[in-house]
Amino acid sequence: MNRIKSLFRARVLRHQVLTPSCRLVVFDRPAGFPAASPGHFVSVRVSDSSVPLLRRPFSILDLTAGELILLVKIVGRGSALLAGANPGDGLEIGGPFGGTVFEPPARGKAVFVAGGTGLAPAVFAARTWNKGGLVEEIHLVHGASTRDELLTGFCEKDFSHVHQATLDGSAGFGGDAVSLLEKLVNDGVVPLDALFSCGPRGMIRALVERVGSRFAEHHASLEAVMACGVGACRGCTVPVRENGETLLRAVCSDGTVFPAGDIAWEEWED
Amino acid sequence: MNKKKNAIRIGAVEFRNPVFLASGPAGYGLEYAGLIDLPSLGAVVTKTVSYSPRRGNPGRRLRETVSGLLNSVGLENVGAEEYFAEKLPPLYDAGVKPVVSLAAEDWEDYRKLLELTARQENVDVVELNLSCPNVERGGMAVGVDPDLVRRYVRLAKDILRGAAVLAKLTPNVQDIGLLALAAEEAGADGITAINTVLGMDIDTDSGKPVFHRIRAGLSGPAIMPVALEAVWRIRRRVEIPVIGVGGISSPLDAEKFFLAGATAIQIGTAIFYAPGLPGEILSALEERGIPAPINLPD
Repeated sequence: MNRIKSLFRARVLRHQVLTPSCRLVVFDRPAGFPAASPGHFVSVRVSDSSVPLLRRPFSILDLTAGELILLVKIVGRGSALLAGANPGDGLEIGGPFGGTVFEPPARGKAVFVAGGTGLAPAVFAARTWNKGGLVEEIHLVHGASTRDELLTGFCEKDFSHVHQATLDGSAGFGGDAVSLLEKLVNDGVVPLDALFSCGPRGMIRALVERVGSRFAEHHASLEAVMACGVGACRGCTVPVRENGETLLRAVCSDGTVFPAGDIAWEEWED
Repeated sequence: MNKKKNAIRIGAVEFRNPVFLASGPAGYGLEYAGLIDLPSLGAVVTKTVSYSPRRGNPGRRLRETVSGLLNSVGLENVGAEEYFAEKLPPLYDAGVKPVVSLAAEDWEDYRKLLELTARQENVDVVELNLSCPNVERGGMAVGVDPDLVRRYVRLAKDILRGAAVLAKLTPNVQDIGLLALAAEEAGADGITAINTVLGMDIDTDSGKPVFHRIRAGLSGPAIMPVALEAVWRIRRRVEIPVIGVGGISSPLDAEKFFLAGATAIQIGTAIFYAPGLPGEILSALEERGIPAPINLPD
């Protein structure tokens, strides 16, 4: 029986506004909060009322001796409440949750593609692996709608190379992150050892279908609507091919990281 | 402190207190080991199992509503054999009191499920899920018909000699009291009320229903008054214990169910967002005891 405590009250220390819709929310790491790895997440109760009802899952962007850092994009009421929490506020946090995590690549060179708040596990991986001397080279491919929404300013130093794309062409490559990665692969700019992706489902599917097979391995950290966060409710299942069968795996407890090529996209309805 | 002060009895089974986790949200129980002090609870009603494993429903399974949650999980489970071999023993080892939730399926599968259950040494209490709205056969299709409820409960009592049998009922009927009466007549030891309330949602971008099966089950604080009325209605009809479940989200909510005549309560959706709630309710009961039911006029 897993008796490691996973429910905490954490105090907001500060915010760092990154873009009009995104910010880092930095918490005081609660006493006894366990170690975590890239791909792990926490679930935050953003309100004491019943609206919104469920805790909201957020990938861990960094966990230091003193701080727990989350990347929050305001997309609805829940994330807006978290983004509006004041320094000093205490929130209930469950975690760290998740079964599988991003493991450092066997051959030492990694490419991350991060869409939106998918940047969080990429930054956590880069910081963890750099600290441990586990990688030689880490590329980040990051896309946003426009220049103002690019998130990479605060984390450029964590990656060997940052490649940016904007849909309106206002900065970096004009187009989406997947198209940029295709170009980088075709131009021989990025190493083809290991691809790590995190972000919206459509982005990861496009990566798999257009460019993923060019890499020796491709691991994806998936996003999902969750209720329990611990594998009990079976609300966040994803169809994954294993040994010739398609099994329903829980993103929260069997993931968040899956071999991207094994996801049965055609059966994953939304 | 008298540890037995809040013990309750249903059939021949004693529970250390009247605070249970509800089937469905509770999973197989130990998923919550880091979040909830499971051995301190009266019982954990585990996820409903069917005779054969069930894959559950395709497509989206969860949608939050105002103060509620729609789900269409569809009784995904590992099947009774694996459940009894792998999922149940660790609960006993951890000192957790399980209530085994069984799916009402086709008559033959249901009989096989009961026979397999009867062969298990430790199972002294089961809850029959006569009320899941998210499956094609069995479930709510059984639970809306008093004659079927009677047959399903009677078969369980016949095969599970000596075990306490709880019938979990659906609120999606004209008079849940009649179904409770049918269960009692057939020998049920207790009534669990309620399962989820039928609901649906439509995605306005696509113009399509959110769920593959269109309809889904609503739980959470939004349905608490519905559950409370059901407990009160059932209480007037039957003598056997009633276990109240549906949207309980505070110690005060729990108190209302005891006042309405519930012998025990179950916490379901609330453990998703407030895993500390069962402990808070236990503390309140420790302090003040279990509230006595009030006399409610008809």
